[in-house]
Amino acid sequence: MVDSYLKQRSAKDWKKSEKHGAGEWLAERWTSVALFFLTLWAAWSAFGLANQGYEAALAFVKVPLNAGLLAATFVITMWHTYMGLNANVLDYFPNSRALRLLNLLFCLAVLAVALGGIYLAFKA
Amino acid sequence: MSKPPSTEAAYRPLSPHLQVWKFHITMFTSILHRATGIASVVGAVMVAAWLLAIGLTASGHCPEAYTLFLSFAASPFGLFVWFGLTLAGFIHLTGGLRHLIWDMGLGFRISSANALAWWSLLGGIALTLAFWAVLFATGKVVL
Repeated sequence: MVDSYLKQRSAKDWKKSEKHGAGEWLAERWTSVALFFLTLWAAWSAFGLANQGYEAALAFVKVPLNAGLLAATFVITMWHTYMGLNANVLDYFPNSRALRLLNLLFCLAVLAVALGGIYLAFKA
Repeated sequence: MSKPPSTEAAYRPLSPHLQVWKFHITMFTSILHRATGIASVVGAVMVAAWLLAIGLTASGHCPEAYTLFLSFAASPFGLFVWFGLTLAGFIHLTGGLRHLIWDMGLGFRISSANALAWWSLLGGIALTLAFWAVLFATGKVVL
């Protein structure tokens, strides 16, 4: 029963997966590699800024390299988060389009808040 | 195998089920990788809120935004949350490294896989403790 079901599904899915899926797998990996370095940089920066107050935090964000790295960290983090949370949605609620949409909107909202904050601080 | 999923449900390999797997370290770190990944989302929200607080204070839209952020982030409960987030983040970081090693096709012998799982777990915990030990030692965090 399960075997015949698998064959039936696979035959239908193969054509789709020929062109779709490898890109997502690769995106999961390269975002991981990028975030390995970016989050270590972020942890190092957080250590430097801890207990240094508002002026130090603002000065940090105003450095163009830091603002750029922060923006890049958030773009890649929220993309990675979207893929990771989607894996959870697909495991536990495989048929829920609503949850996948909610996940997308949530990740975009967090990204918008972070980029908005960087922009306002950088411009001020 | 109980029964195949409904035809609408895509048939795909599922992650380890909490109730039916006998405990072993690779299963535990697999579940932990998912849990720490979800927990780290809270960290992303906190750091985004920090950036927004800086931006709103600097731009004059809401001058007290940073103080408001610190009233949570620098409180004892806030520090407890940050500790949990760094623990989740570091375990997810070393766990991600473990997965990248496996993705390269390395470390699939059971003994190697178990060793990798232990090293990544203990490495994540060690990094967290070291991070906070230095924060306390340098007086950057005081309880």
